[in-house]
Amino acid sequence: MNVLLVEDDKEVGEFIVSELREAGHSCVHSCDGEAGHLAATSASFDVMVIDRMMPRMDGLALINTLRAAGDNTPVLVLSALGDVDDRVQGLQCGADDYLVKPFAIAELLARLEVLYRRVKVPGAEEQTRLAVGDLSMDLLRQHVQRDQTVISLQPREYKLLEYLMRHAGQVVTRAMLLEHVWGYHFDPQTNVIDVHVSRLRQKIDKDFEHPLLSTVRGAGYRLGAEIDS
Amino acid sequence: MQVREVLSSLTFRYIAKYVTVLSASVFLVLGAFYIYFSYTSFRALGENVVDELDTLQVIYRGQGLSGVDQYISDQTARPSVNRFFYLITDGAGAKVAGDLPAAPRYQEFDDGWLGFEMDLQSWGESIDVDFVALPIALGDGYRAIVASDYADIVKRAELVFQTLFRVMIATLILGITGGFFSAARALDQVEQLNREISRIVAGGPGQRLKIEGEAGYFRALSIVMNQMLEQMETLMQGVRRVSDNIAHDLRTPLTRMRNGLSKLRNAKEPVEGKQLEALIEECDDLLSTFNALLRISALESGSRLAADTEVDLRELLQDVVELYEPLAHEHNIVLELDVRQPHVCKGEADLLFQMFANVLDNALKYTPEHGRITVQLRPGLDNAGHIVTISDSGPGIPAVERKNVFRRFYRVETSRTEQPGHGLGLSLVQAIVQYHHGAVVLRSNNPGLQVRLELP
Repeated sequence: MNVLLVEDDKEVGEFIVSELREAGHSCVHSCDGEAGHLAATSASFDVMVIDRMMPRMDGLALINTLRAAGDNTPVLVLSALGDVDDRVQGLQCGADDYLVKPFAIAELLARLEVLYRRVKVPGAEEQTRLAVGDLSMDLLRQHVQRDQTVISLQPREYKLLEYLMRHAGQVVTRAMLLEHVWGYHFDPQTNVIDVHVSRLRQKIDKDFEHPLLSTVRGAGYRLGAEIDS
Repeated sequence: MQVREVLSSLTFRYIAKYVTVLSASVFLVLGAFYIYFSYTSFRALGENVVDELDTLQVIYRGQGLSGVDQYISDQTARPSVNRFFYLITDGAGAKVAGDLPAAPRYQEFDDGWLGFEMDLQSWGESIDVDFVALPIALGDGYRAIVASDYADIVKRAELVFQTLFRVMIATLILGITGGFFSAARALDQVEQLNREISRIVAGGPGQRLKIEGEAGYFRALSIVMNQMLEQMETLMQGVRRVSDNIAHDLRTPLTRMRNGLSKLRNAKEPVEGKQLEALIEECDDLLSTFNALLRISALESGSRLAADTEVDLRELLQDVVELYEPLAHEHNIVLELDVRQPHVCKGEADLLFQMFANVLDNALKYTPEHGRITVQLRPGLDNAGHIVTISDSGPGIPAVERKNVFRRFYRVETSRTEQPGHGLGLSLVQAIVQYHHGAVVLRSNNPGLQVRLELP
């Protein structure tokens, strides 16, 4: 994944760059809005991470400019402004995701991965059937089965599994699950999501040899056939 | 107190201006009175002269010239201060009767009136007196002139004018002296207040202004300033308490992290992933504590958004309960939702969700196994607003502690060590409910705790 990072804070920027490179991604780092604009227009990127408050050109203004010029590269806004209206403002001006500082690097990586896959697999939204290993989901009939066994799920469990299957192989954080499966943006203080996931795990993994749903320590969960142990 | 200081003070300048305006208006009012007085006096004089001429004409018609002569002799013989002077002339202009010299050198005005000067013998002295006179034709070529002096009118008018002038001077002098003294008094009080405030600045916020002197603006000011100092002190204590708590609550995990890190540095065998993970988790906890703190301050300082969306509380509570149901189930706790109808209110869905989640989270933490938690949604009094009560069967919170639990980082002593969490949950609940112009009240559920959230 080729990432453009526009971030004026030197230390935060360097840290993100080193983490992205360590995760196997290539990364270009610009230190202000104008340099970011120049970089974004002179090369093509898979995803952009843009800080909101920067010298020379504000992050939102930069996104506006890029969108106006027809650049639809997914953008994640990184900001210290975490109010609801700040978030809405950010998403309205064309950003695809919004992450409030301070943040965990695992959260950023997981979200970037999701943004990247979304573009890479066009038409994924219109799929009628999802499959991960021997687990399959029929979106039209709302039917789930693994191997030959039919699995019956509660509506929320179904949504949870659907989200995990759509992002199979990627790390999905608890905050992302809350946002997309429950539709609320909030900070749970306890392991409430873990309980839902473990219930789901009971249903899809319990009687099978290879577990599909794994916990990624310090980050979230990943659904994928290639994971064992 | 310097005289110059008083003269340049705001109070004095204000009073001086006021006095000037006041005397100017006094002068205008009295000037108008002066003009009116002179005008009516002259008018009355003129009317009297015209009446006298009418009388002469009537007498002439009835009794002829001899009658007129007789009347004039009677009138002039009477000793009177304000009497008329007469002159009757024949067709040739020769004097026939009267006490005026035959032809005074007069000045004729537009309206037929004549004005002249004449020497009068008064108290054996000859004085120059101004007269006004009006002539008429009696008939048969005879003409009559009736004249009257107006020295007394002029005298009275002069008296009025002088009174006016003196009143104005007196107003000015009295006003400015008064202004000087009240300015001096005000300055004196300001200086006293200044000294008092300097004393407080030097001595710290624990001190108060002395409330002395009679009731007045300065006393009221001192009282209000004392109240302000009181409030500042409370706020400062609050801030100090919060920062003490922050220091305490953050020191522990930071120390743990530091110890963990130094242990890793000194480790002989290769570092295990587990140890690192634990440290990162510790770090994430700290981050989430900071996030919660920042959110609370943002909510407390932020004004409510104008573009609030409509939220159905029933739907929202169903989602919250659904989210927490598995957790309750895991602890063998019965979690019930009691809602009868949709409740639409204006608000921020994410914030309200966070608020209910925090309360429910607490309830789940403190309710023992096989307990019961009830979430109830009812309309408020007179169907205005919405009331959500979340009742648990846990140990509850002692009445004396109920106010304190909303403070940042405050934790009931017994729970500090026993339960996880950063002690900000209820602070955030309060911040959110107040952001929505609602209120939160803690009550006893006999046994257990009931959290009552009132939303408009």
